[in-house]
Amino acid sequence: MVSKVVKAKINGILLRVPAGTTILEAAKNVQIKIPTLCKHPDLPPSASCGICIVRVKGSNKMLRACCTPLEEGMDIITHDPEIVEIRRTVIELILSNHPNDCLKCARNNDCELQKLTADFGIKEESFPQFLRDLPVDTSTKAVDLDPKKCILCGRCVHVCQEAQDVWALSFLERGIKTRISPAGEIQLADSPCVKCGQCSAHCPTGAFVEHDHTAKVWEALQNSEKYCVVQIAPAVRASIGEAFGYTGKNFTKKLYALLRRLGFKAVFDTSFAADVTIMEEASEFEERLLKGSRPLPLITSCCPSWVDFMEKFHPDMVENFSSCKSPHEILGVLSKTYYADKNKIDPKSIVMVSIMPCTSKKYEITRSNEMYASGNQDIDVVLSTRELARMIKQAGIDFENLPDEESDSILGEYAGAGVIFGSTGGVMEAALRTANYFITGKDLKNVDFENVRGLKGVKETEVEVGGTKIRLAIAHGLSNVEYVINKIRQAKKEGKELPYHFVEVMACPGGCVGGGGQPYMVTDELRSLRAQALYQDDKDKEIRFSHQNPYVKRLYEEFLGKPLSEKAHHLLHTTYKPRPTYRK
Amino acid sequence: MYNKTILIKDTNINAEDRTKNYYSLVLNSLREFNLHNEVQVVRAADIGVYNHGVVIKILPDVIYQEVKETDIPRIVEATVKADKVLDDLVLKKEPKQQRIVLRNCGKIDPESLEEYLAAGGYQALKKVIFEMNPEKVLEEMKKSGLRGRGGAGYPTWMKWKFTRAVPADQKFVICNADEGDPGAYMDRSVLEGDPHSVLEGLMISAYTIGASKGYFYIRAEYPLAVERVKIALAQAYDAGLLGKNILGSEFSFDIDIRLGAGAFVCGEETALIASIEGKRGTPRPRPPYPSVKGLWNKPTAINNVETLANISPIIVRGGDWFASIGTATSKGTKVFAVTGKVKNSGLVEVPMGITIREIVFDICGGTISGKALKAIQTGGPSGGVIPAEFLDTPVDYENLQKLGSIMGSGGMIVMDEDDCLVDIAKFYLGFCVEESCGKCAPCRIGGYQMLQILNRITEGKGKLEDLAQLKRISFAMQKASLCGLGQTAANPVISTTRYFDYEYKEHILEKKCRSGKCSHLANYTIIQERCKKCGMCQKNCPAGAIPGSREEGYLIKQEKCVKCGQCFEVCKFKAIKKE
Amino acid sequence: MKKITREDLDKIAAKPVSPAVNYIRVGMSTCGIAAGADEVLATLIEEAKKRNIRIDIKKCGCVGMCFAEPLVEVAVEGLPPVIYGKVNKEIAAKIMEKHVAGKILVNEYIFDLKVKE
Repeated sequence: MVSKVVKAKINGILLRVPAGTTILEAAKNVQIKIPTLCKHPDLPPSASCGICIVRVKGSNKMLRACCTPLEEGMDIITHDPEIVEIRRTVIELILSNHPNDCLKCARNNDCELQKLTADFGIKEESFPQFLRDLPVDTSTKAVDLDPKKCILCGRCVHVCQEAQDVWALSFLERGIKTRISPAGEIQLADSPCVKCGQCSAHCPTGAFVEHDHTAKVWEALQNSEKYCVVQIAPAVRASIGEAFGYTGKNFTKKLYALLRRLGFKAVFDTSFAADVTIMEEASEFEERLLKGSRPLPLITSCCPSWVDFMEKFHPDMVENFSSCKSPHEILGVLSKTYYADKNKIDPKSIVMVSIMPCTSKKYEITRSNEMYASGNQDIDVVLSTRELARMIKQAGIDFENLPDEESDSILGEYAGAGVIFGSTGGVMEAALRTANYFITGKDLKNVDFENVRGLKGVKETEVEVGGTKIRLAIAHGLSNVEYVINKIRQAKKEGKELPYHFVEVMACPGGCVGGGGQPYMVTDELRSLRAQALYQDDKDKEIRFSHQNPYVKRLYEEFLGKPLSEKAHHLLHTTYKPRPTYRK
Repeated sequence: MYNKTILIKDTNINAEDRTKNYYSLVLNSLREFNLHNEVQVVRAADIGVYNHGVVIKILPDVIYQEVKETDIPRIVEATVKADKVLDDLVLKKEPKQQRIVLRNCGKIDPESLEEYLAAGGYQALKKVIFEMNPEKVLEEMKKSGLRGRGGAGYPTWMKWKFTRAVPADQKFVICNADEGDPGAYMDRSVLEGDPHSVLEGLMISAYTIGASKGYFYIRAEYPLAVERVKIALAQAYDAGLLGKNILGSEFSFDIDIRLGAGAFVCGEETALIASIEGKRGTPRPRPPYPSVKGLWNKPTAINNVETLANISPIIVRGGDWFASIGTATSKGTKVFAVTGKVKNSGLVEVPMGITIREIVFDICGGTISGKALKAIQTGGPSGGVIPAEFLDTPVDYENLQKLGSIMGSGGMIVMDEDDCLVDIAKFYLGFCVEESCGKCAPCRIGGYQMLQILNRITEGKGKLEDLAQLKRISFAMQKASLCGLGQTAANPVISTTRYFDYEYKEHILEKKCRSGKCSHLANYTIIQERCKKCGMCQKNCPAGAIPGSREEGYLIKQEKCVKCGQCFEVCKFKAIKKE
Repeated sequence: MKKITREDLDKIAAKPVSPAVNYIRVGMSTCGIAAGADEVLATLIEEAKKRNIRIDIKKCGCVGMCFAEPLVEVAVEGLPPVIYGKVNKEIAAKIMEKHVAGKILVNEYIFDLKVKE
């Protein structure tokens, strides 16, 4: 079917767009930015705020530009005194129901409502202010909800329901009492919430904000009795630049420099631990595949939101999960045992900070006793990329012009396979490179698995490892999980052959590069750019196999013995249990 | 055996009732003519004529009005005895009501399919299936000029045509019975009194657009209507009028009932669809319209109960017949629920084009209090007020819109001089604020802010700037709200400020409510002549504004009075004046 | 009820509708019931039984004169059909006694509705 082209006018300018283009999108073609508030480029329009209204010339009718397709022959006016006055009135109405707390709000200078108000030059509060008497919910310690600041744009509800399939949030009540909350007056921690933070990543105001732990970190850094160490996740290096106007740029070496300037005594890299994870997980896979010690498919477990989701919604899959901890937890426990021993540091004095693209890891670090395998809390604080960006500004450091530095041994050097963990399909690719070696004893010539890369919601593909066809599934965004899990269950029920041998799941769309703690205004384009930076980092590395990382080899020789050894199990592995979706 | 019956009623309201007097006179006259054994005389309670003096009706259809005592003998001689009509006395006015939608209501047992069939039921369905085709039905509907009776007035044939034209593997039809306007109950009465007629209309709409499944969306607050529709559906299925191969034809159709859950907003098309889909009942942006993407994203035609009840008469009697009733732009009849300060409240079905005066005075007997009519309100919370000076406006979609109101679903509230128009605007706005779904900011917050302003005005705390503020918010709500509820919530305010601006100003500048409705603005004084010095007012005054004693009497200190109205409520001797 | 066919409907259309005689209809929509029509209906049935009168007593919908509910339409051979309004138990009994049995219309309660046919 031929895609129709629509001819129409916007502000008197003639334009041609493919049929179905919204007026909002079409206006960009003629350099017009129709103001919006509730619309997020990553999500379908919710059409609630009413700011984007435009007029059909000659008529009194107004349309919402965000969701109305431009039709043949339409003559649209986007700005005239009447339209602007209506927009101002609506903004002022929204402000009348919003706290005047900008100076003390986490979103100060980074808030969509603030920006819109400033752009409109609003100078008066024409309407009496009235606030909703609703308490703040900090129960998850990962994402905080302040309903007073909520403008009911509905993005978080869409993301939690449609994109993430968690349904922890919904609209409650109606009219002026409408609010967004878990059902039934309960707090987030007692709801199905998996702490993925996608709500906070899409929120236009300070209603949903990552639980801020920067104060804790400042405190530790000032404390001379503490030995502060830090690790950065793969995804962070490709995204921190956005706070300073750079997209898709890899700032690894400047991050190392920055963190030292902040006062950390050792700067490590989670990618190293990712390599260790691969050693363990590829060994697991080899065992299950060749010895059948535990059931297939093997499902990755490095994403704590995915683990929480599984424990709540798919507890029958527990046996399939890799018992491996997530990389940052592995680095945490190693820092307070292996590293501490080697450098004669009292583990009790170590404060281990993880910089993650994630909010979920803030919850993960106290998830169970196994997160204290070193004898102390393995990870003390998790900071999201957004919090780090704020810290950089607070510290007054000219980040983009810092000199390049290196990370600290023995937990800072990584292979290419470790850094691609941040992108959907990255864990799978890294694991395959090493699993192939474990199973066949030989190294792959071509290490780039293009089939597992990209933003398709579910990627199903096949690779050959030592003569056996291995079937893979990679899903990202929790709404894509059901398809994969159902296929596995169906095959089990009917006693048919397993649809997959190995499954990777990332809760956040795009994988960790699209994480809940990442910079705002994410789109698929940004996710791709961030992932590209990681794949490039991998390509540029001399060593691209986890099992060839000399520091990984040293770790096993000197400390762990071999993958899946008893010590490895004690320190680097964890267990799972079914959890209720709703707690009393 | 009586072979003739005479009804007598003095139809003058608020005057001395001469019915019994005339009754005796007529009886005497009959005796004189020796007809008293053949003619029955009855004092009626109501003859459907008002303010025409004493009315004598000789059944079945001769009505004499303004009858004087001296007219009685000649009436008996000419008409009773000889069946001749006296032109100078006869009431020439044609009956105003014309029953199409309500044709069977009150005449058949709504729980009997046999009675519906005997009254001509399902003949239209038969004609449509066996003697017509969907194109012919559309043609007939177009000729009829029927416009949606839910309030929007969209041409029904067009809606069906658009839905029919969209290719899809499944289509739906829905009957919108979520009637939410306060004071409107036409749809309820039709569903309770003649459910099969609505069923038949829904079936014909399904046949025309190619739908295989239909829904009745009935508000849960209508349990009797739900019950009667359930019975009708069961009867229809039993008789092969629903389900597979209806009347032995290729047409198959299923209907289910869905209940509302107390949300006025679910009368709006897209919110209704969301509700049936099990989602929160909030509207969606349009386009796409339900005709293209409706229930479960399939083409859907939603029609109001009253619209559907018009379908079978149109099919049986022809679109041209229907178009012969009404005005050029508004064809057919409309059912109005006339309530408020009116003598005879109830449902009236009248041809479009009849004047408001005829409805309120000729059919419904004028104001119940006898006081002057101040205004009437039409269209529910989306409508406006029409002051008394426009009573002679012919009722149709366009005329009411020009006056700043709308036809709406048919609610018509009569107001007299004891009604405060600011209070009325506050009531309707308060309704919309309560019922707002909360999705879009202009309606959710704008409505609330407007209500706060109206509250202040009715409490005597208004400022002149409030009027400009109301105007500003109204405009934003009209243009930027997502659905009809928000877009029209400000109409009562706009309409009352247009015609009754002086009342608003009185409330604001003089702190006065001329109708006495706004209790915060009333002035309370003691009528000393009636005061029995019991002291109850002083005892109940929360502000200590009534000094005095049982010996000396009491006085209300205006400066201290907070206008709560307690003294007025507790005084047993009606000695408190509220003005 | 057996399935209705096209022929059945043709037959009904061809048959002239003979107006019913001897019936009582009580308005039993929500407006009527709220005003007490169910009690009126019960009284009429009881009274008919007491006086051994055979007459069809049925319910019907709202005829529109809601201000006059409960409404009762009475049609008896030899008398024109009339609608009584604001009927209560006592009036209902009176209707049965005077109108149905005695063929004399009851005063003060007739509501005459004017509708164009």
